[in-house]
Amino acid sequence: MNTIKTARFGEIEVDESKTIHFKDGLPGFQKNKDFIILEHKPGSPFLWLQSMDTPALAFVMINPFLIKRDYLQALSKEEEALLKNENDDELIVFTLVTIPRGQAEKATANLMGPIVIESGTRNAKQVILANSGYSHCQPIILK
Amino acid sequence: MLVLTRKVEESITIGNHITVTVLEVKGNQVKLGIKAPKDIPVNRTEIFENIMNENLRASEAPMDLATLAETFEAGGDK
Repeated sequence: MNTIKTARFGEIEVDESKTIHFKDGLPGFQKNKDFIILEHKPGSPFLWLQSMDTPALAFVMINPFLIKRDYLQALSKEEEALLKNENDDELIVFTLVTIPRGQAEKATANLMGPIVIESGTRNAKQVILANSGYSHCQPIILK
Repeated sequence: MLVLTRKVEESITIGNHITVTVLEVKGNQVKLGIKAPKDIPVNRTEIFENIMNENLRASEAPMDLATLAETFEAGGDK
């Protein structure tokens, strides 16, 4: 099994079924195309999106439906089309979480820019739902 | 930056698949029509920059895992 180096988790074994590929990277990180999804802790709602080639690059993610139960239910046709994929794969949706250092109570979730993953191909993209009314910095309260 | 002058109803083509047409000019506002393949996202630049800057902030998550809470409460409307 392959291993990769990470800044937060040390050297980890790569479970290929947990890797995802962003053809175009993410806005601000266009060169980082390959990531692996790591559990934070068993039972935690948080996950990590760890870069495969940049050890220090990792994002915290959460299932956005835990924040908004009706998330993505009332999109325009145009924005709904952004979530479609050619293979009719099941889509897995996450949202990135911003946690200011030392100020976890000011954590926010980027509901405007969900991470959308095709379950079959494991291709991923960050979709920008500009007209959805969702915030790119929706407050969430960490306990 | 490439600078091109266009009149209303004239357009420019970017690559083989993207066309931008000037639809209307009113004072300092320009209405553009954009034809692009579905897999090319088209966004107002300030929106794209919001997402990009939020990604940059999100990438600075604390190194110390212990600071990440186990649970959370949704803020705002649910």
